[in-house]
Formats: sequence, C-alpha cells, structure tokens
Amino acid sequence: MTLAPTGPRPPDAAPTTAARPRRAAFRSRPGRPPEGNRERARGRDRLWVAAFLGPFLLLYLGFTLWPLIATVYYSFFEWSGTGPPEQFVGGDNYSRLLGDPLFWQAVVNTLLFAIGTTLIKLPLSLLAALVMTRKWLRAKKALRTVFFAPLIIPVAMAGLVFTYLLNPSNGALNSALHGLGLTDGTTDVFANRWTALLALILISVWQVFGQYMIYWMAALQNVPDELYEAAALDGASEWQKLTRITLPMIRPVAVVIVMLALVNAMHVFGLVVTLTGGGPGTSTYVVSYFIYRQAFGSLPFAYGYASAAALLFSVMAFVLVTSQGLFVRRAQRLRKEYGV
Amino acid sequence: MGTGRSAGTSRIGRLALASVVVAPLLAACGGGSGSSGTALKIWDYSAEQTDFHKKVTEEFHRQHPDITVQWQSISQDEYKRTLPLAFQSGQGPDIFYWSDNGPLAMSQLLDQKWIQPLDGGSALPASFTERWPAGSFVNGVNQLDGKTYGFPLSESTYWGPGYMFLNKKVFADAGLDTAAPPKTWSDLKTACARIKAETKAYCIAAPTKDVDFQRIFYALAAGEYTFNDWFFDYRKGTFSLAEPQAQKVFAFIQELKKDGYLAPGTNDKNFSRQQFASGQAGIMMDGTWLPSVLTSLGMKSDQYAVAPHPVPDDGSKGALWSQPDGNKYWVSAKSKQSKAAWTFLDWMTRPDGYFAKEYLKDGFGTLAFADNARYITDPAIRRITKIADEPGYRVKLPLPVAKCPDLVKSKAYVKAIGERPTWEYEAMSGALNSGTSLRPEAQRIVAARQKTLTDQLKQEAAQGLKVSLDCFTFPDWSYTSDYRPAK
Repeated sequence: MTLAPTGPRPPDAAPTTAARPRRAAFRSRPGRPPEGNRERARGRDRLWVAAFLGPFLLLYLGFTLWPLIATVYYSFFEWSGTGPPEQFVGGDNYSRLLGDPLFWQAVVNTLLFAIGTTLIKLPLSLLAALVMTRKWLRAKKALRTVFFAPLIIPVAMAGLVFTYLLNPSNGALNSALHGLGLTDGTTDVFANRWTALLALILISVWQVFGQYMIYWMAALQNVPDELYEAAALDGASEWQKLTRITLPMIRPVAVVIVMLALVNAMHVFGLVVTLTGGGPGTSTYVVSYFIYRQAFGSLPFAYGYASAAALLFSVMAFVLVTSQGLFVRRAQRLRKEYGV
Repeated sequence: MGTGRSAGTSRIGRLALASVVVAPLLAACGGGSGSSGTALKIWDYSAEQTDFHKKVTEEFHRQHPDITVQWQSISQDEYKRTLPLAFQSGQGPDIFYWSDNGPLAMSQLLDQKWIQPLDGGSALPASFTERWPAGSFVNGVNQLDGKTYGFPLSESTYWGPGYMFLNKKVFADAGLDTAAPPKTWSDLKTACARIKAETKAYCIAAPTKDVDFQRIFYALAAGEYTFNDWFFDYRKGTFSLAEPQAQKVFAFIQELKKDGYLAPGTNDKNFSRQQFASGQAGIMMDGTWLPSVLTSLGMKSDQYAVAPHPVPDDGSKGALWSQPDGNKYWVSAKSKQSKAAWTFLDWMTRPDGYFAKEYLKDGFGTLAFADNARYITDPAIRRITKIADEPGYRVKLPLPVAKCPDLVKSKAYVKAIGERPTWEYEAMSGALNSGTSLRPEAQRIVAARQKTLTDQLKQEAAQGLKVSLDCFTFPDWSYTSDYRPAK
C-alpha cells in the first residue's frame, strides 16, 4: 500500500478532482473561464435586481421624486395652477412665508399635535401591549380587534362622527354630559384653541392606538423568555421584570416607534378638515391644512406659495427623519449590545 | 374530446354573453348618446336641484336627440376643489357653474384660462341678448372685446343673502306670531329671550364656520351700511371690517351669543339649516336659495315665514347689495363641444322655455331672463320678492369697471382679496368664540388688503393702465339708494 504524497503541492499543480470535485467539474466545462461565469451570474443577478426594483423605482420617480422637483420649481413662481408657471418671483414666496404668522402658527400647532399625540398614544399603547402579551389574558384576538378597529375607519368618517358626537347643540356626548348634570349642555370643545387641539389629539390617539399597540407587541415578543425565567428564579417581581428587563430590551425598537409616531402625526390633515376646519378662527391650523387652503382655498389659487410652504415643511420633516437616523443607529448599537 | 368541445363551446358562449352584457354598459358609460351623438358635461353644486336637472336633461334630449347632457351636482366644498383639478388634468366639464367674486368672475376665469366665449365667439343674435333687461351685458363683467362669455342667470334684485326665515312651530310654541316678525335688533333679542324661555329650541341657527358666517353678518350689517361680498365699502374706497359700522354689527352678534341666543357650536350652513328645518332653532338668516334647500330637507313653505332682516333700533342706514353677479354658467375653454354648449344654453335661457318655467315653479330662486312673477308659485319666494321690492332693501352698487374700463386688465382687486381669502371670517369666528374684540385683527386685515390694492394699482398705473384707488371710490353715493353714474 503506497501512501499519497504529503509534501506541499507544487504551485503550478492543478488541484485534484478527488480533493475538489465540484470545482473541478465546474472548470472542466470547455471554453468557459470561471471569471466569465461569475460575471455572467452577476449580470443575471443585476437583471433580477433591476426587474424587482424597477416598478418601485418607476413609482418612486413618478410619485415622489418628480413631485418633489416640481414643488421646488413651482415654489419660485406665482402660479394659480393653470397653464405653465410664468411669473417668476424668485424667493418672494419664501420670504412671505417666513413672515406669515399663520404659517408659523400652523407649524406650532403641528408640533404640539405631534408631541401631544406621541406623549399620549405611546405610553397607553405600550401599557395595552404589555397586558395583551400576558399569558393569562383571555380573548386576546377579540381585544386586538377592538383596539385595531378604529384604524380601519377612514379619517374623514371618524372626524364627522366626532363632529356630531361633540356638537354642543345636539351631540350625543354633550347630551349625556348635560344629562348627568356635568355641563350646561352648551359646552363646545371646538370653541377654544386648547380644547379643540386636545380634542384633535385625543381623537387621533383613539384612532391610531391599535396600530402602535401592535408595534409594541411585536417589540415585546422579541424579548427572550429565558431572561424572564432567570429573573423569576432570582425572585424578581413583575415591576422589576418590567423596568429591568422589558423596557431596556425594547428601547432600541422604542426609538423607531417614537420617531414613526412623530413623523406620522406631523401629517395630520383629515381630522382638522372635518373636525375644526382650522378653527375657531385659525387657531387649529396645521401645516398640511395651511398648504391645502393656499392651494385650493379660493381663486386665484396660490400654488406657488403653497409649494413653498410644502417644501419648507418637508425640510422640517427631513430634519426630524435625519435625527431619527441618528437615534436609530444608536438604537442598533444597543440592540447588538443586548444581543437581540 | 367531448369534454374539450363542451369547454370550448362554453368559453365561446361566455364570451358572447359577456359582449351582450358589456356592450350596453359601455354605451351607458359613454353617456348613451350613441356613436354619432354629442355628450355635454355640466357641473355645478346645486345638489338640491338634482332631480330638476334630470328632468331638464331629459326634456332637452327629447328636443335635441343628438345631444345628451350629463348634469352633475357636487357638494359645494368638494366642487371648489374638484373643478380646478379637473381643469388641470384636462377632464373638466363643458359647462360649469362659477359665481365667486361676482362681477370679477369673468376676468378671473379668463385669467385662469378656464372659459371661452359663447358660441365660439360669434356675434350672438339679438333674440338671445334681448331676453335680459337692458344693461345686463357689461364690458368687463360678461363681455370682452366684443365677445360674450356669460349671461346673468339669477337677477340681482331678489337673489342674494339677507332674509330672515322664521320657524312657525317654534314661534307658536314661544307664543310669538311670525306675522309680526322682529323688526329691530331689540325686537330680535326680545323674541330670542321668549324662545329661550318658552321652548327647548335655540333662537338663531347661525352657521359660524368659515365663510358660512356671512349669512348672519350680511343680514345684520345691511342695517348699518352697504358693502359688497368682500366687505368693500365703495363710498369710502376701502375694505371695511375695521369700520365702526362693521364693529357695531359684530358686537351685536357677540351679544346674541353671550345671551345664549345663537345655537351653540361652530356649525356649517348645512348643519344650521337642518337645525332650522327640524325645529331645533326658531330663526335662520339666509338667502333666496333657502326655500328650495328647506324643501329638500322636508320642510314645506307653510311651515315657515320669511321676513326682512332686522335693523338697528334707530333705523336702517344701509342696504343689501345688488351687482351684476348673476353670471354663473360658463363654457369651458377646453370644451370641444362649444356648439352643443351654445345650443343648450340658448335653449336653457328661453324666457318661456321648459327650464325657466320649471325652475321658477320648483322655487329654486329667481331668473334674470324670465317673468318671475308669472311662474313663481312658491309662497316663500313670492314673499322674498315682495320684501326685496321695498325701496332701499337691496341697492345697486357702483361698478368700478364702468368708471375705469382699464380695470378689466387690472389684477389689483383680485390680488387684494386673494391673499388669505377667508381671513375676515377666520377673524370673526375666532373673536366670536373667544369673546374678544374683532377690531385689532380687522385692522390688520384691512391694512393688508388695502396696501395690496393700492400698491398693485400704482404698479399697474406705472405700466400705463388708467387705474387708481379713485376707480373704487364713490363718495357721492348714498348707502340706501341705487348708484347712478353721473351723466
């Protein structure tokens, strides 16, 4: 029995087919160098990538990028929306906008709304999610449906329903409060800026509460059970488990949820249209409503001015999203540290 | 094999069936006009007239089988949004309704490139223009460069805001008689106090949401002074919300609210009309169009009375306005059916035609080209005409474009009112709800609008137009009488 040589193989020696059967078979194809095959495979991959990305890119170009470019362009014109924009006004729309108290009031209201809804809906939905992920809870599916149902109702319809419910003349809620002797029957929550804003915030929270509860539930379900089991063995209470395990573990996801909540809330529009119409007076104007009124308020339409407002608002939203990126990166680092 | 044939046969059968089913549907989508017919699209926002429009289109099609009219009514708020988008996307109607800014509507619509002249710009036959009283076709209002773009639909003596509607049941429950309506502001408060004390109804259904605020403001302000629908006072040549008269009227409305006489809530006109129709409120101030709206809400004209708006205790010092603002139906610039559009509008405006008779019979208002007294049967509209026939109730405003023809090319006024167009109402709604004075915001509004107007007029004058603030100022005109230009 002779042993196979064990010394180093000469550099120019071809690998044996016994040692690398697949590669050998691959190389044994006549006239097809391996590099070319790899290139071809890469080319095919690129085609697939293009095929899958193409439709999205096309839609993105048509419905995001192009409108954005057009908005930038229109913002330098005084344009009523019909025919090509002809009256170039340079930065006039922007300087007018910066000096327009109504725009800044709308910005302040938008931020108040965004912060207000976020501060209410996130803790509440987290609390609900914590309960909904308890093993002892019955009828989880039914409860989930109940919490999620308002999200299915179109915003405009929700707004109209609450308009009638809260109407001081004959609204059901007001009648009930009046019946209980809690009000004089003429309480108009929409007659005052702060109560109107609060009503907007609470109705919005009611509507999107279920969505954020689902987000939290997804985050909570990612916390490994072993941690709770170990904590239980160490004699940790439920409160300790919540504050020492659950909350730190979901922190990375929480950052994303907070940012999503803020950005989504900044787009508030439908509720304002249906519930307050920006009133009383202009006290509940938000930026989207301001833009809408400029663009479609009445003749002559101020599309140029509305475009400038839209762009300025987009810049603000962009700053928020960019800051979200920073927080998300930090959150990702935390995730790695926690090993989840 | 047998199975295959049967499947094939069934497929063919299904195709045949589908074509039988789909063909009429496609034809219906195309307006049912057939391949050789013309479909004419009309849009407006008179939802209460939908059934009437259906009858009109059927009658017109019966008389003109080659033209099928599709008349669509969209809610007013939706309309103002939909129409511009439709024009932008090239899907606009052939004929559309637009009455914003009254006498300025034509120049605005021309500026927007939304309209074309009637009958493609041909000279209109005298038999058409003679349907209207002399002076109905005015250069800069509905004519330009010898072409006619519009025609008055509603006349301007009876048509407009400023009437007081009284719910008979609420009044009876309060021990009041609608035959003796409140004539002064004090009377109004007394009646309201009675309604509040004796019934469960609110006294006044007053919409205060956005521009709907105008319904109560116009009616009450007409007793103090005379202005146009943009609060412009032609006697002084200024926007007038900061003037003492306007402040006095607003303060009175605030008093009504403070005393609990206005139905609570920032309601829109539709909500307030429902309140009135359902007996939740005793009084509503609105316009000539209200009777037909109330009919659509199930309230018959014998269930309410119409009265003149109440005036200040020391007597009326103003009037409601009348101006050439009845031009409402326009032919779209993009329409390729201008001939058919003209045929329809010519047919529609026949003084003794189907449209006029049925429109007036159904109580939708008054028409500028028909004998209103002859065809109106609705007691409420009849009462409205009687009220407005009283001297000084509604007076003809000065017409700046008649004084300065170059105003046709001016954009100064449009620009002045175009900056935050609902600012006045926003200010009033805010002050009403907060109970604060309207004056500071009113002064800001007037200053901003006036500055835009004067600056723009100066710019245009520098470019050679013969325009100035003087074109908008008529110091010799009295608020309570028709303006008559010096000969």
